[in-house]
Amino acid sequence: MRLKNKGYHICFAVIVAILALMPLLLSAGVITSSSFVLFLGKCIAFSIVAIGLDLIWGYTGILSLGHGLYFALGGYAMAMFLKLQATGGKITSFMQTGGMTELPVIWRPFLYAPLAMILVVAVPGILAGVIGFFIFRNRIKGVYFSIISQALTWAAYSLFTGLQSYTGGNVGITEITSLLGSIKGDSNRGKMFLLFYICLAVLVLIYILSGFLTQKKFGKLLIAIRDGENRTYFSGYCVSRYKNFIYVLSAVFAGIAGAIFVNFNGSITPAQMTISYSITMVIWVAVGGRGTLVGAVLGAFLINICDYNFSSGTMVEIWQYILGAIFVLTILFFKGGLVGIVRDQLPEWKKKLTRREVEQHGK
Amino acid sequence: MKKNKIAAILLSSVLAVSLAGCGGGSKGDSGEDTVKVGILYSATGSMAISEGAVKDAEVLAIDEINEAGGILGKQIEYIEEDGASEPSTFATKAEKLIDQDKVKTVFGCWTSASRKAVKPVFEEYGNLLWYPVQYEGMESSSNIIYTGAAPNQQIVPAIDYLIDQGYKKFFLLGSDYVFPRTANMIINAQCKAKGVEVVGEEYAQMDQTDFGSIISKIEAAKPDVIINTLNGTGNLSFFKQMSEKNYTADDYMTMSFSIAEEEVKTIGADILKGHMVSWNYYMSTDTPENKAFVEAYQKAYGSDRVTSDPAEAAYDAVYLWKAAVEKAESFEPEDVIAAVEEGGITFDAPEGTVEIDGENHHLIKPVRIGVINADGQIDTVKETEPVVPDPYLKSYDWAVEADLQPLE
Repeated sequence: MRLKNKGYHICFAVIVAILALMPLLLSAGVITSSSFVLFLGKCIAFSIVAIGLDLIWGYTGILSLGHGLYFALGGYAMAMFLKLQATGGKITSFMQTGGMTELPVIWRPFLYAPLAMILVVAVPGILAGVIGFFIFRNRIKGVYFSIISQALTWAAYSLFTGLQSYTGGNVGITEITSLLGSIKGDSNRGKMFLLFYICLAVLVLIYILSGFLTQKKFGKLLIAIRDGENRTYFSGYCVSRYKNFIYVLSAVFAGIAGAIFVNFNGSITPAQMTISYSITMVIWVAVGGRGTLVGAVLGAFLINICDYNFSSGTMVEIWQYILGAIFVLTILFFKGGLVGIVRDQLPEWKKKLTRREVEQHGK
Repeated sequence: MKKNKIAAILLSSVLAVSLAGCGGGSKGDSGEDTVKVGILYSATGSMAISEGAVKDAEVLAIDEINEAGGILGKQIEYIEEDGASEPSTFATKAEKLIDQDKVKTVFGCWTSASRKAVKPVFEEYGNLLWYPVQYEGMESSSNIIYTGAAPNQQIVPAIDYLIDQGYKKFFLLGSDYVFPRTANMIINAQCKAKGVEVVGEEYAQMDQTDFGSIISKIEAAKPDVIINTLNGTGNLSFFKQMSEKNYTADDYMTMSFSIAEEEVKTIGADILKGHMVSWNYYMSTDTPENKAFVEAYQKAYGSDRVTSDPAEAAYDAVYLWKAAVEKAESFEPEDVIAAVEEGGITFDAPEGTVEIDGENHHLIKPVRIGVINADGQIDTVKETEPVVPDPYLKSYDWAVEADLQPLE
């Protein structure tokens, strides 16, 4: 068991090392475009939300199809702060179009940097806490939970597109720079690298925190809830409280991820809180391998990098089918995803192969 | 055995990540005899059908130019990227086209959301986007050329026409997003100044299919004309449900800003006949350039295909870029922008001669009010001389009075 975990951690360390090398490779001219590094920055955000999803789905067995909501809430909180930085605290053009003359009350807290950073995690966290409290206390689970999570996301999406003068409608909040200012183009490379490394450090911290939690008794309890919720109840544990805690934690991770995403993306739109976007996140975890943190990270990176490279020219439609097929195959045959293939299937195939060889030699 | 596992996991991940990573940077510079441009539309997602037709028109223009010898002796090589109907993807792909593929210009975007998402990308990299769709105005970027209509080339003249025709009670109906909201803000100001009554203003969700309550509100308000800025599937549902109640253009006239030949084909000419639309170009527009354009478009993509205003504007964009490049004698975006801003970039387009306004990067183009006929074509009932674009409506007293100017 300990050895296996070590393998996962080494694998994660390798991924981090490769990522850390990217800016250096760019400076050395091995990679020619800085936009690829910017894109990897977004992938860091995706892998953080994937870790959060993995904690609740892979470990605890709660399938949330609405994590885009928390991702977008964190993103909006960060974007509102950055937008006010860009306008110098004045109202935005979409507020003016909506007939407003002064900053709405809900935007006011985002004038102050520390408060805005707290809200990035507090808004998704508190919302998840309230929702989780009612859902888990009433022992809603399985597909019913998934359906509720979808419905909530849909409701929030309608709200955000509807309240155009507050949120920018379906255009969202655009024309913002990162926390460190503009990070595009050659002249701003230093700032981009700094931001990239900060976000990479956040990913490492979140991975360590999650790894720590899952290895302790707490993690064993989550797995116990996944594999036998009633038994865990009867053993005297307050299951709903554990579920709620891990749900809030994953929402907070999603919020942080959203905030990082906005910094690299330069805009946030309600498209990030759609159901299809939320389901895409689940696909990352499933393909990478649920139940292992490194699987979630791996899945988020691999699928997005493939998306980035394959979705041009004639590959566009074919890639959609390939992605769909990969997902279906994963669910049907490789429940452990990529990590599962390496961990379970490969040794099995190897065993079969050696056995066959032995048999042939015997003959 | 356990060590094997570790090794296997390690190896596979290293391989996978590095392989995929290499794909990011290995593309070299373009050859000597071609020039790269980007084409950025949604090939997947809800906008794919609309944006596909526009992309086809641009590919047609590029093929025509290449066949005729290219630009400055170079063939155009286009790189297609998929925006997947999602603004952030548009921004990511725009950046990829500019920074990684080193394209000299990009033709792309349909929705305002996607345009607003890519705008800062083009501005920061100093590249140039050609945006082919009519839109809500209130924007002007030195790194975007808008080849569709500004509000004063579609909305404002249409409302003027309706007022001239004696319509007095207007009902505003739109999808809930930035174009209808802004369009209606303009229309409200215009109606107020001209002494015409707006008897209702309703917004439907983007993918709303049930218009029962909105139709009953229309029935209660008894408007002379419905100003329709619905988009996408909303139009289909709305007009189907109106026709189910046996309402025709005689009962409730509509003036639509998002229905072109393509949409008429989907909704059905029998339902839409007699209703009014406002654009700069129709498939039926009678110019020799249009005859050639329609012929070439149908030859390339099938005789059942129709051309529409956005497709025509996209076609113009490629030729206008050619004209600007030839004037600048350079493919570099900053030289092309400089040439555009000097003025005098024209193209004998299917809709008539168009010219880029060097000041605000929109096109000087004629406006045509049309009525849909039973064959699914649109007949022009009023045609204006080319109108100078005014995205901020600064030359209209009522707009200045209503303070429609944006902040930035």
